Amino acid sequence: MTGDRRAVLRASVPPLRAFLPALALGVLASGSAVALLATSAWLIARSAEQPPILFLGFAIVGVRAFALGRAVFRYLERLVGHDGAFRALAGLRVSVFRRLLPVAPDGLQGTRRGDLLTALVRDVDALQDLPLRVLQPLVTALTVAGLAVVGVAWVAPAAGLALAVGIVLTAASAALVLRLVSRRADERIAPLRAALTDAVLEYVARWETLRAFGADAAHRARVIDLDGQLRRAETRQAAAAGSVAALFTLGAGLTLLATLLVTQPSLAQGAITGPQLVMLVLVPLAVLEVVAALPGALSAWWRVRASAERITAVVPAAVPAELPVPPARPAAAPSGAPVIRLRGLSARWPGEAAAALRDLDLELAPGDRIVVEGSSGAGKTTLAHVLVRFLDHEGSYTLGGVDVRTLDPDEVRRHVVLCEQSPHLFDESIRQNLLFAHDAATDDELLGVLERVGLGDWCRARGGLDAPVGERGRLVSGGEAQRIAVARALLADAPVLILDEPTANVDPDRAESLLAELLGAAAGPERAVLVISHTPVADALVTGRHRLAAAR
Amino acid sequence: MIATALSILARAITQALLDALAVRGAARVKSQLRERAVAALDAGGSELLARSSSARVATLLGQGLDALDGYIGRYLPQLILTAVATPLIVGVLLLADAATGITVILTLPIIPVFMVLIGLSTRAVQKKQWQQLGALAQGFLEVVQGLSTLMIFGRQHRQADRIAAVTDEYRRRTMAVLRLSFLSGFALELAASLSVALVAVSVGIRLIEGELLLGLGLFVLILVPEAYLPLRQVGAQFHAASEGLTAAEEVLELLEGAPASEAAASLQPAAPIGPSLPVSAETIAMSDRSTPVSASDADDAVPALTLRDLTVRRGDRVVVDRLSGSWMPGTVLAVTGPSGAGKTSLLGAVLGLVAHEGAVLLDGAAVPPAERLDRIAWAGQRPDLTGGPLDEVVALGAPTLDHDQVGRSLRWAGLDDVPRRTVLGPAGDGLSGGQAQRAALARAHYRAQQRDCRIVLLDEPTSALDAETERGVIAGFRALAAEGRLVVVVTHRRAVMAAADALLRLEPETRDAPASAAPAVAEARR
Repeated sequence: MTGDRRAVLRASVPPLRAFLPALALGVLASGSAVALLATSAWLIARSAEQPPILFLGFAIVGVRAFALGRAVFRYLERLVGHDGAFRALAGLRVSVFRRLLPVAPDGLQGTRRGDLLTALVRDVDALQDLPLRVLQPLVTALTVAGLAVVGVAWVAPAAGLALAVGIVLTAASAALVLRLVSRRADERIAPLRAALTDAVLEYVARWETLRAFGADAAHRARVIDLDGQLRRAETRQAAAAGSVAALFTLGAGLTLLATLLVTQPSLAQGAITGPQLVMLVLVPLAVLEVVAALPGALSAWWRVRASAERITAVVPAAVPAELPVPPARPAAAPSGAPVIRLRGLSARWPGEAAAALRDLDLELAPGDRIVVEGSSGAGKTTLAHVLVRFLDHEGSYTLGGVDVRTLDPDEVRRHVVLCEQSPHLFDESIRQNLLFAHDAATDDELLGVLERVGLGDWCRARGGLDAPVGERGRLVSGGEAQRIAVARALLADAPVLILDEPTANVDPDRAESLLAELLGAAAGPERAVLVISHTPVADALVTGRHRLAAAR
Repeated sequence: MIATALSILARAITQALLDALAVRGAARVKSQLRERAVAALDAGGSELLARSSSARVATLLGQGLDALDGYIGRYLPQLILTAVATPLIVGVLLLADAATGITVILTLPIIPVFMVLIGLSTRAVQKKQWQQLGALAQGFLEVVQGLSTLMIFGRQHRQADRIAAVTDEYRRRTMAVLRLSFLSGFALELAASLSVALVAVSVGIRLIEGELLLGLGLFVLILVPEAYLPLRQVGAQFHAASEGLTAAEEVLELLEGAPASEAAASLQPAAPIGPSLPVSAETIAMSDRSTPVSASDADDAVPALTLRDLTVRRGDRVVVDRLSGSWMPGTVLAVTGPSGAGKTSLLGAVLGLVAHEGAVLLDGAAVPPAERLDRIAWAGQRPDLTGGPLDEVVALGAPTLDHDQVGRSLRWAGLDDVPRRTVLGPAGDGLSGGQAQRAALARAHYRAQQRDCRIVLLDEPTSALDAETERGVIAGFRALAAEGRLVVVVTHRRAVMAAADALLRLEPETRDAPASAAPAVAEARR
């Protein structure tokens, strides 16, 4: 698990060669800030000794250069750093996606709920913070602090020691405060915020139901209670953040005082000059301002680590036994009629003890239209997923006489196409949503297939194939989405077509007619159709019926 | 020395307090807004939700309000601090060294001027860019969400390249935006650090010429950055602040937009009952099936539900038009009609959740909408299950949990195959569509039994059930009616209509012309 997490974290860091410019610029920017204060202090103190202005020339130039450098380097650092992080993000996304492929869609832990998938994507994107908000500030602060300590120690060893001790003590106490106070609050805030959002959504979305059952007051109280808990956690976190900021102010001040104390003997002995003393005393202020970025980096690190943890938890590194694995040397595709024959077929979802589908015998030949009925929980969707090899099975499943286990799952899906209960529509045009089923199709073919599924007028009314379908098919009703899914399946021209509850998201009064139209469009002498439905299907529309008994 | 130490300590403590108090203030304002918004929902819930989607309202009250943190927690305190501290520091600088003071006064305004200039010139570009970015940012999510669809068509292997391309495009465009966004930070930093350099050099030169004392010079040098700091931080928080303001405005709009007057009107007792007018919908006696009604009330029975000229408007549209009729207890009434015929609105009006005109009489007496809820059991078109253990989900709103009754209700709805302790997710996740529908039915049954509701309203209760399960549920409707209740079922299923005693067909087009004076026959049959 830890090694797994490390792999995910490593993928989010840009390669050193790409990362180095950002780190260097960060050091230059923070270093300029420290140097600006140091040179200004020295300049003023030295000026007080009224030397010829010529001796101060380089300091004056230095002050101006560092002032410019601080702003310019900071700007460049932010640009280069963000650019690198985004470049790494591309690699990270691809690597997570490659991990997803062997286990998708049925092996992803708990991701049958869409919101968890959204959370996964958010977690992947959150890993950008590793280079930007963890490594960059860490490297910059440590390098600048180290250089400053060395530089100060070179002038006066005692002052260098004071500065080092000041930095270490301040950073350590800030980390301690964060760990003791803020981390617990941090850990509570995210779940509390999620719980509050859920509670508010439940209250708003189910308001009528809650009202009708007289449960609204109790739910309102829960929202307000969660809100109170969240407020307390946030206040606690803010108190910690405030204390940390205060600690750095305190640390800077105390280091300044300490430096002043420990350098007195050197000044008295003449080992350092007055202007040097002024510089030594003021440098800690600038250095601690740079080091103050560390607590933020620590919090960011905790967040990033939690995200990596969740990613490894959702995407299993090993393929669960319930999922099909492509054979090392796939057999040739079946050449004869793609008759599906199931004998004693059972299947199980990953992580579940009981079989969802038990001991099924079924045959499906070209020209067949079979409706599979059964109460909820009888394993209808499980059957659909087994047929397209999303799930592995026990018993026998042959396609055109060939055991599907010897075939590449992709090859099986070239013959068996599933129209899902909620078909996914991409946020693109109607054309793009059809083309990916068969990318050589001409516009005429696309329009023809839309006509067949009863979407001809609909497509024209929207202004043709270029009309958008909206994010997640927002601009499309449940029935239209099903029609598009069937159109896609027809374009792919697979000999076996499976419709999984095509009327699940359709108004009840339109369900029966939609089902009839879809079956009409899909029917053909060469095509086998298996429809899973709770909406009654007229006998004339199908050639056979099969009833699944509950597996439990 | 001690004075220095003390002042350092004082500064640290006040800084900690400032941060903590500011965020506490923000959290308190958020809580108040959230509470008021939730209360506003109660005042005018259905109207409010009709105007904006529930997801929008929920997002606004959830994460939307968090944007206020930046405004109240950081921007406002910083603004006040700037207003107080900056003049103070500038004043001290002027007193200490007039030349430096004047330099600061001259350079300070550069910061806001820069901010405004950069802000103005980049805002239009940024807004457009962010919108495009929003779409690109979704690219990866889309591929992941649509993965099973992609796999079905064998397109999953190409997606790695697509993801890389989309992410790279995202990077390119984001960087174009960031180059501009970071400019304002650059300007702030440059103004501040150049001012320090300016002051340092001028102080140094005047020191050489002996115009200034060293102590004063150092004092000025340390104080100058502090003069810029508050204003720089205001600038840095400006972005977060404008987001917060937008969120606050939306919440306030939600609060003000709550139609307090309309809501109040809808909760007032129904208007006095006038003479009965012609029925505007066709009510048909289905069969002469003798409905078992509890013995004595055959003649002097009071209808369980009477409607007189019930009219429901949604916006400008009249969805239920002067509907009248009355139905006896012991009846199963099927309500049918095409989408948009007002079936669901009719149930909402009877429940008292939807504002309406005309009279709704329960057991022959007018009951104010708010009190009707107590006497009616209802199952809506969507199951709308709450999260938690199944038995608590079924007993929603009941003060105590009657385990035996939960068992009977689950059996009644044909859901005794699901374990009672099954814990459902936040939106009732964990049940299939048909199971969720039966759980919602069990919930209505539980309420009907617990409170002895004489009216049970069911909206499309069998739409997700297969024919065999449906038969069992229909038998349940008859059993419920046999207990002396009126069961109103909105449905499209023929099996349900066939089992009903009376059929009410709502047609969108008949609402324009008053229907012929057909008598309400549902109860005439007896």
